Amino acid sequence: MDAPFFKYGLFSEDASLLAAFLIGGGFGFFLERAGFGSARKLAAQFYFRDMAVLKVMFTAIITAMVGLTLLSQAGFVDLSMVTLKETRLTANLIGGLVLGIGFVIGGYCPGTSVVAASTGRIDAMIYLGGMFAGMLVFGFAYPALQPLVESHSMGKVTLPAFFHIPYGVLVLGVCLMAAGMFLAAEWGESKVNGTPLTPTSLLGGGRRTNTSRIVVGGLLALGLVAAVAGDPYRGSTATVSTSELSRLVDGKADHLVATDLADRLIAGRNDFRIIDLREPQDYATYHIPGAESLPLAQLGTAELRADETYLLYSQGGIHGAQAWILLKARGLPRVYSLYGGLDAWKDEVLYPALPEQPTAEQAAEVAKRTLVSQYFGGQPRSGGAAMPAVPQSLPPPPPPSDAPPPVQKKRRKEGC
Amino acid sequence: MSDPASHPPQPHMNPYLAGFGLGLVLLASFVVMGWGLGASSAFATCASTCVAAVVPEYAMQNGFFSEYAGNPLKDWLTWEVLGAITGGLVSGLIANRSRLVIERGPRWSRGKRLLLAFAGGMVMAAGAKIGGGCTSGQALTGGALLNLGSWVFMFSVFGGGYAVAWFFRKQWL
Repeated sequence: MDAPFFKYGLFSEDASLLAAFLIGGGFGFFLERAGFGSARKLAAQFYFRDMAVLKVMFTAIITAMVGLTLLSQAGFVDLSMVTLKETRLTANLIGGLVLGIGFVIGGYCPGTSVVAASTGRIDAMIYLGGMFAGMLVFGFAYPALQPLVESHSMGKVTLPAFFHIPYGVLVLGVCLMAAGMFLAAEWGESKVNGTPLTPTSLLGGGRRTNTSRIVVGGLLALGLVAAVAGDPYRGSTATVSTSELSRLVDGKADHLVATDLADRLIAGRNDFRIIDLREPQDYATYHIPGAESLPLAQLGTAELRADETYLLYSQGGIHGAQAWILLKARGLPRVYSLYGGLDAWKDEVLYPALPEQPTAEQAAEVAKRTLVSQYFGGQPRSGGAAMPAVPQSLPPPPPPSDAPPPVQKKRRKEGC
Repeated sequence: MSDPASHPPQPHMNPYLAGFGLGLVLLASFVVMGWGLGASSAFATCASTCVAAVVPEYAMQNGFFSEYAGNPLKDWLTWEVLGAITGGLVSGLIANRSRLVIERGPRWSRGKRLLLAFAGGMVMAAGAKIGGGCTSGQALTGGALLNLGSWVFMFSVFGGGYAVAWFFRKQWL
């Protein structure tokens, strides 16, 4: 059995709504257990009176982090299929600051306000109304805010990838950091409130074991296991089914032809990531609109995700096909190569050889392919004319006047 | 809503134990669904659907409303939030913590508290939609996934909160 269950198709979209209700039920239950249905308790975090927000949040983070890492290292969960939000440093930073200010003003964050409202807090019900109104205002102001919201994206970046630290080692580091923060928080609470440490805390209670010490100590021990258990991402050890791959190739389910790609780009149906496998300087000279640069040599270790679709191309067809096998071996389900590579793209889309005297049945096709070629900044060549020189720096294609924009965003289905 | 005198509210759960329980729920979401928890987008969906019902043409050309508008009853996060309402209610009833009150410091009036609750909700909506999520979807979920942007977001939340806490101390202390 493979996890995540839903992404491996183990249950339907409708059943996922039942799972949502059950998961949400647990979420709300534990938020209320912790006392987060009270704005005064939540706000006390910001006056160092009661650091429960920090303790609960970081215990939850390290529990889920350690658990997911160990399950992935054991091969049970495919970590690359767990949805990761894109990193946009400016937007994350500013949004976080605004949210923190809203937290102190309103007394709740969205999740806790829901729980507070359901346990009778009138201010939380008003807060929910404010959040609804805020969404309306934000929506109407969106055209002005869009540049900030969609500011530069670094893509999906994890801390281990960013700092070049092995995943498990970073997991242990976060556990240790959390434990240090817990100790500091308990010490600070006792200083600010002038109260002695309680016997149930990490610092109080003499030498006896208590619940707090068992939970935090247990998580640290599991974090230590994660640190030495290797790379949680599947990949280097994956095996391929040769019969399945040959069946895909035989059935032409492994590639996309250049003219189909052009049609999809124009229609805005490109829900895949286009990967340019050539060297960065070639990519800089010319690339297919919307393509990302990822040289072939980096393909084995690049962070690619099983829930995305990839289209690979290089100059000719060979590297794209080799990369296709490589990514199939890494267990990515939806990978295609561009048949004939960039050469075919130039030959068939940018500078197609079209008949000079088209017959009646050819006429529509010729007109269409002329338009397509011009859309991408090319020009059909007639009859025996030689192929024009390699385009040095083609202008980006103008947006079509009435067609939808080439890149259409998928609706965010999950996340907060 | 029980009488506070005869049924005093139970003390809160040990924060580390509550956090462990919350973490297991988040882990279950990762394993079962392949994504984490959320909250604020349910309200974005709700608001966008209302706008799309009133002015459909405008909503379709607005990047925000067109992204979030859709049948809320087919939306995963809507059901997750409905679950959270239920879970919170159950926990609150078990612990005798459910009662109609306005949470505020002793020196702050009801009216001013409700005004700030509304304003805080509005600010929160903007923060969540600029930052790409709230404390659930970014800090908790992205934190556990070691997402770079989520960790930046998380420290910004604490930074923003501590930076302005002094100005609002009378509301809480």
